[in-house]
Amino acid sequence: MTDWLGMSVPPRTPRPELKGRVLARALARRRRWPLAVAAALAVVAAGVGGAWWAHRTIDALMAERDRLAARVAALDDTVSSFIHDPATRLIQVPVSTGGRVGSVTIFADSVRHRWLVRCDGLAPNARDQAYQLWFVTDQGTRPAAVMAMDRDQPMVMALPLPQAGEQVRGAAMTIEPRSGSASPSGPTVFRLEL
Amino acid sequence: MRRLKGRDERALQELYDALAPWVLGLAFRILHDEDEAEEVVGDVFVKVWRHVHKHDPRRGPLVPWILSITRNRALDELRRRRRWWRKADRWEQAHGTDEEAGDRAPNEAAVPGWPLHREVHAALAALPDDLRRVVTLAYFEGLSHSQIARRLQQPLGTVKTRLRAAHRKLTDQLGHLKDWVE
Repeated sequence: MTDWLGMSVPPRTPRPELKGRVLARALARRRRWPLAVAAALAVVAAGVGGAWWAHRTIDALMAERDRLAARVAALDDTVSSFIHDPATRLIQVPVSTGGRVGSVTIFADSVRHRWLVRCDGLAPNARDQAYQLWFVTDQGTRPAAVMAMDRDQPMVMALPLPQAGEQVRGAAMTIEPRSGSASPSGPTVFRLEL
Repeated sequence: MRRLKGRDERALQELYDALAPWVLGLAFRILHDEDEAEEVVGDVFVKVWRHVHKHDPRRGPLVPWILSITRNRALDELRRRRRWWRKADRWEQAHGTDEEAGDRAPNEAAVPGWPLHREVHAALAALPDDLRRVVTLAYFEGLSHSQIARRLQQPLGTVKTRLRAAHRKLTDQLGHLKDWVE
């Protein structure tokens, strides 16, 4: 009957603060379960949310990648056809902007009625300005494209010519407000007669 | 017991009030260190609260079950401490005060279970010295039979015989005891 031998020892009065400590320890372990479950649920929710967000982001990025790839392929095709087509006429215009020397190269496709324009060495625009390219036709000056040059790097674009019936006789480039203008009003970068 | 198993926090508080002095007394008797004994008290009530569903009333009352948890936990602490040479000396010094109640032994009238203590204490005291000695070494110091034999410089068979005899006498005298906590 040694199970009871512990009772042979005189009792000791615990310090009053011990009770609070002991009960807090015992009950804290019990209450840890809901906290653990809540924490686990939060982690799972965050994981699911994160996975959903990642899935959406990846989908969007893959769509953007496909779109850009298609665009690059189309552009590559356009550039290739421009450059290699015997009907393409090459025009190179030296320009000076912001104290630097650059060039504007025009591949004029008279069969498909479109131009491929490449700008090299143009100085970046002020924040409220942009380069604007113009077609000079027998009926007046027509806006071709507005090119905001924010970075010091080449720019390439394909431009359809004005409607049939208008004869393109030249091109011009001016510096205009960033939203573009209906007719040339700013400093001329170049003016070209074909 | 039912309330404890039903996760009644108030039942745990009542159990603490009823048993903490005894748990602390036993832990202090084994460890002779107030801080360590209080640590054991915390461990014991945490374990009781978490594992009370494992206690089978058919295999024994609740109080001895809790006392055995206390003893085992305190002996674990004692064995760990014995490996610490710094504390070994202090333990040896305290070892000579087996029956010391300490300066916070409460008034008997204020402690539930005091009559039972008197009965168990009397049963232990009534044992012949040689039997009481082996019981004390085994129960409060956690020594194995062979360790007791070395300590007392007695043959192992003698120690086992004395332990069996002591167990028989204690069973005869204490077999009727029941929990005073419901």
